[in-house]
Amino acid sequence: MTDQMGISPPPTARSEILLEARGISKGFPGVWEHLILEHIDFDVRAGEVHTLLGENGAGKTVIANILSGYYGKTDGEILVKGQPVTLESPRDGLAHGIAMVHQELMLVPAFTVAENVMVGLNAPGLSFRKQAVEQQLDDLVAHYGLQVDPRVRVEDLSAGEQQRVEILKVLFHQPEVLLLDEPTSLLTPQEADQLFKVLRAMTDEGKGIVFISHKMHEVFAVSDRVTVLKLGKARGTMPISQTNEDDLTRKTFGETVPDYMERPAVEFTENAIEVDRLIPKGLEKKAPASGLSFALHKGEILGLAGVAGNGQSELIASITGLSGVSSGTVTILGEEMTNRTPRAFIEKGVAHIPERRREMGIIEQMFVAENVALKDYRKTPFSRHTILNREEITRHAEEIVSRFNALVPDLWETECRILSGGNIQRLILGRETWREPPVIIASHPTEGLDAKAIRHTWELFLALRAKGSAILLISEDLDEVMSLSDRIGVIFEGGIVGVVEGENANREQLGHWMAGGKISAAA
Amino acid sequence: MELAHIWGILFISLHAMVPITLAAIGETIEESAGLFNIGLEGILLLGALAGAIGAEASGSATMGLMAGIATGGLIGLLFGVLSTTLRGSQLITGVGINMFALGFVALMLTLLGAPGFHSVPRAVQVPLIPLGIGNLSPMVLVTVFLAVVVWWVLRRTQLGLWIRAVGENPAAADVAGLRVNTLRLGTAIAAGMLAGLAGAYLSVDWFGAVTKEITAGRGFIALATVVFSGLNPLLALLGGFIFGLFEGLATWISTYPAIKKIIPWQFVAMAPYIITLLVVAGAIGRVRFPKGLGVPYLRE
Repeated sequence: MTDQMGISPPPTARSEILLEARGISKGFPGVWEHLILEHIDFDVRAGEVHTLLGENGAGKTVIANILSGYYGKTDGEILVKGQPVTLESPRDGLAHGIAMVHQELMLVPAFTVAENVMVGLNAPGLSFRKQAVEQQLDDLVAHYGLQVDPRVRVEDLSAGEQQRVEILKVLFHQPEVLLLDEPTSLLTPQEADQLFKVLRAMTDEGKGIVFISHKMHEVFAVSDRVTVLKLGKARGTMPISQTNEDDLTRKTFGETVPDYMERPAVEFTENAIEVDRLIPKGLEKKAPASGLSFALHKGEILGLAGVAGNGQSELIASITGLSGVSSGTVTILGEEMTNRTPRAFIEKGVAHIPERRREMGIIEQMFVAENVALKDYRKTPFSRHTILNREEITRHAEEIVSRFNALVPDLWETECRILSGGNIQRLILGRETWREPPVIIASHPTEGLDAKAIRHTWELFLALRAKGSAILLISEDLDEVMSLSDRIGVIFEGGIVGVVEGENANREQLGHWMAGGKISAAA
Repeated sequence: MELAHIWGILFISLHAMVPITLAAIGETIEESAGLFNIGLEGILLLGALAGAIGAEASGSATMGLMAGIATGGLIGLLFGVLSTTLRGSQLITGVGINMFALGFVALMLTLLGAPGFHSVPRAVQVPLIPLGIGNLSPMVLVTVFLAVVVWWVLRRTQLGLWIRAVGENPAAADVAGLRVNTLRLGTAIAAGMLAGLAGAYLSVDWFGAVTKEITAGRGFIALATVVFSGLNPLLALLGGFIFGLFEGLATWISTYPAIKKIIPWQFVAMAPYIITLLVVAGAIGRVRFPKGLGVPYLRE
């Protein structure tokens, strides 16, 4: 049979399917109000790199965790070389030749490199093959060009070297399918290039690789095929040769231009937050030497877009007092507040809607009413001379719960831990905004809320803006940032790489900045 | 001081070392895997009772020790299940074991006849090895042997590496294909068996009787010894010997009339505990414990 188009299919199309997912779905009941993966079909063939591309929260990691046996699935089927398999633990995955390099390092810092490799060894309990393993590792290091000394303790290695140990670990055990979840997040560009060479060498040996990333240039550097994920749904799989960067960016970050929330024009004069050449603690190595600077005016909503892990958490911590500042200054409502305590920030009028709501937003083991009063209990009428006024707290909690439509069985009997993420978020929004604070730091404020609640929250933010509140909106959801913000800044590796007016913002340009693209390329 | 006195103190020290070291190396195994069992004292007490009953019922000291091991293993299993698959609080489970043992042993002693005291017939006690300079329990040799074996397993075998990996980073161990909870459960049972043996040694060997205070805080001293040793079984052996030495000295002093007049024996009896406290206080902060210690492992 002749090929009418005159194009031969890519070599991978003919090779064996090593691992396949058919219609897998995943829900976390109670925590999420929707499925986090919906009916995903995905496969990886011998000799190819198949990339999973998507925004944070799209479900890339969840797919990889299910395929490696780390997570269970709610529905669907997994096949290894065409045979259906049950994966109940990573142990089962490894038995089928599937290994995963997780985004967080899965290493024992107190062990040497060789000992970390030996943890996964299938050897008799009373044997000890340390020297043999060290020698085999020396060979592997030489073969793939991954410079690591197997005899050194992992805690004495740099982050990049530790990432190499993770790769060595899976190379040592010779899996047929390798899943890599954002393996370059801790690597320098040169180290990442080295890793891509290693991946190439592995596919040449007939292994299948699933590569997870949100960085566009990496996807083009390493992939044979790419599958785009958005909000838990697959948005198509294609050979990398049949797409381009613009096309993929649109597919990944959304196709429609979002609504812009109309608002009265305001003259921005007074600063609510001034951050000058700030380098928060923990970002000393990553951040540019000039640090991070911006001003947020009274009555303004400043959206801060960016891929998670680019310094957002550290920035928030340093402008709410949760952790220290390495250099630079933070000024709130005209007063320098650098390195002050969280309580000082609260009393200055800085409200905080935190990103990890269960850990930072509430105390899970405490009751709803207690959580609602968490930031106000010291003040009258909620307490007098250190004695809590239960009636006032109850009345206040009732008001917050009904105003924000939170579904709460009982104010004084329901522990917050049993509430869904969306309901917890409603309580936090209520607690943080009811006083109409002058400054609001909101991190992913509508994550986990349904469309109606999102609309209500956006309207609430605009109402607060009209009353003079300054709002810093940190979100990975570009729709939200673009709908709400007067201005949008993009944070990348601890610095602001670009700022645009909200009304004129361009999704592709923002996506490009978020992926670390140069400003000139988007102009 | 005559030579005989020195030998006397040495033998008391070695005998006092046994229960603390056995319990401590057991705890070392499970703490290496990430479990923290504060219920050692209770397991010792139950082991002492089980040992006495077992020895009398079977007419054999060995069977008595076995009964102690079995009882300890059973409590270890209970603790292990509660703190792994059921994800209970290890602290509360441990305290529960101590409380249960206090009440249960006192009740059983009453049922056995005399409240608070039950002696084990000489015929079913562990026979001592006569050495001319004194009589030595074979359990001293067993203890030294077990300490070396546990050190070797934890530090020089694949199994030990697995145990420590599960304690340091259970998620990493899981991803590497280990069964985290199964391994932890195994160490909890092993630790219980060693503490049970330590308890049975008290009644069937060293004291030849069970009282409701027979353990006298040795379970807690063993916990302190684990801290002092930094999870090294050989240092736990040394720590057990140091505590034993002070107990030996205290016993010797309290029977020495000239000193007895100057220092009340109660103060002398306190010495080993105070010394232990000081040693542990010195060790804290220096010693590094597994990162996953005391935390149940949950995958999702």
